[in-house]
Amino acid sequence: MEIVVAQIINGLSLGSIYVLLVTGFNLLLLVAMIIHFSYPQVVVFSMYIAWFTMKLTNNSVILAIIAGILSAILLNLLSAPLFQKVMKKREGVDINTTMVLSLGIGMIITDILSHGFNKGLPIAFPKVMVGDKPIIELGLISVSNGQIYTLVVGIIAVSGLFWLLYKTRAGRAFRAIAEDPNGAKLVGLPIFRTALGSYAITGILGGVTALLLAFLLGTTSPGMGDQVANKVLAVSIIAGLGNLTGGLIVGLLLGILEALVQGFISGSWANAIAFVVMLVVILAKPRGLFGMKL
Amino acid sequence: MSLPMYYFLAITAIYILMSWAIYLPYRVAHLHFLVVANMTISGYLAGYMVMTLHVPFAVALITGFILGGLIGYVVSIFIGDAPTFAVVIVGFTFIYITRTVIENTKAVGGTLGMFGLPSIGGSPTAHRWIILGILYFLVLLVGIIIHRFEHSRLGRAASAIFVKKELAVSFGVDVKKMGMLLQTFSSTIAGGCGVLYGFIYKSFHLDYFTFYLIGIFMTVIFVGGYRTMWGVVIAAPILYGLPLLFPPAIASWRIVIYGAILIAVLVLKPEGFITRQLVYNIEKKISGGKN
Repeated sequence: MEIVVAQIINGLSLGSIYVLLVTGFNLLLLVAMIIHFSYPQVVVFSMYIAWFTMKLTNNSVILAIIAGILSAILLNLLSAPLFQKVMKKREGVDINTTMVLSLGIGMIITDILSHGFNKGLPIAFPKVMVGDKPIIELGLISVSNGQIYTLVVGIIAVSGLFWLLYKTRAGRAFRAIAEDPNGAKLVGLPIFRTALGSYAITGILGGVTALLLAFLLGTTSPGMGDQVANKVLAVSIIAGLGNLTGGLIVGLLLGILEALVQGFISGSWANAIAFVVMLVVILAKPRGLFGMKL
Repeated sequence: MSLPMYYFLAITAIYILMSWAIYLPYRVAHLHFLVVANMTISGYLAGYMVMTLHVPFAVALITGFILGGLIGYVVSIFIGDAPTFAVVIVGFTFIYITRTVIENTKAVGGTLGMFGLPSIGGSPTAHRWIILGILYFLVLLVGIIIHRFEHSRLGRAASAIFVKKELAVSFGVDVKKMGMLLQTFSSTIAGGCGVLYGFIYKSFHLDYFTFYLIGIFMTVIFVGGYRTMWGVVIAAPILYGLPLLFPPAIASWRIVIYGAILIAVLVLKPEGFITRQLVYNIEKKISGGKN
């Protein structure tokens, strides 16, 4: 029983990360109308920037946090004109092309991380960031500071985003574009500027997620982005593309499922089982459990 | 024939065949990355059959084709008419599952891989010529099939689905059957390619079947031109050969180079270099303006 409780706590922290990633992914899909498949690669890139900053600044956590978040915002904003250009060329929304473009961006990011940092080897964050022992220990149940940060910040970030979307003028603009881009244009909403706002917000979310991943896992590798990208797109499809609430539920469930399986089966098989479950659901319901919002 | 020339010719043929394997389902807007998993599964199975069960290479190759086709067919029953993103994620997920299973299966070498596959034909020289012969026969055969397909009612139906699915349905096109046909055919090609890919190097290792392969095939398709089969034929040798001309320090960044070329082409020349209009003009010239 203790193992189950411990793994559920692990699962909730991991699930919070998936929720953050899927929310950012869905926001870009709904407002900027792109499938930013390599969004998790942007997150992993920010983890590397945070790690590099710590190396340069004698393990300054504050500077690492700032550098991590800024790099995610910058990378997202830099990719915005490319996506806009591709979409303009096709005279409308073309999810396929934006996905291919995003794959290209992902290829570049992953290869730069493989060549440019730590000789392509996985990186480990210093103890000053990840802590050296659990904060709470009750038998088999142990809670690290990374897990607490992830849960608390995850809840705050997602609540903040939902508050922004449903309680502010800017949020209404986001939702109007997501609902009917042509209607939103007709009533005078600045489509490009609002889309740019979604790139910036998802950049902030991405940076925060990168830091939470650093606190939670304490390590990363260039290939991590590919694996997470796959899971994020899978969660998004299972939930129903663009469905924010569905993404929240499925993201948390995937985190818990993965952690529970990991509690009883060795690491690499646990990942495969999570993928098999996702595959079965996608094959059975390719349009998602909660309905697409596109 | 020198070893570098052999590798250039062999890998170029694999790039052409595999890019066609992705190009075909993309005719109905499906990015069918399952083909990379098909390559891996068929390749490893053939390696195991030849190395451990001492089955002749020809039988292993045919098994590879059949297995690829079978997997493609079964999966296509579920995703024959699924949205693009669902097809993409099914492909990626299959790749992860396949890699995990192979990593944990000692019979096929696990993470170490399978090395020391026998030479076909008894000597290394005969091996190279046989592999090249099979590969270029396949390029010719698959090329003819795709060419016939493009100029048939089926090809026009696929084009209609690509432009607007709903319109194609209203014209009586069976979208699911078309998707299943193309996915199964491309998986069959991929199964055979997986076997040959390993036998080029006389070994199988998971590093041969990474996500980078998808990036390379995508670059070949989109740089060459995703609206005709000829783009792949032109782009594959150029894109594979180009990094070979660079100094090793730059060539090791080839994935970044491919990614940058892919992005540049998507932004500046979205239809790629070989467009339908260009092919049409060339065909018109060849036939003396009779088209």
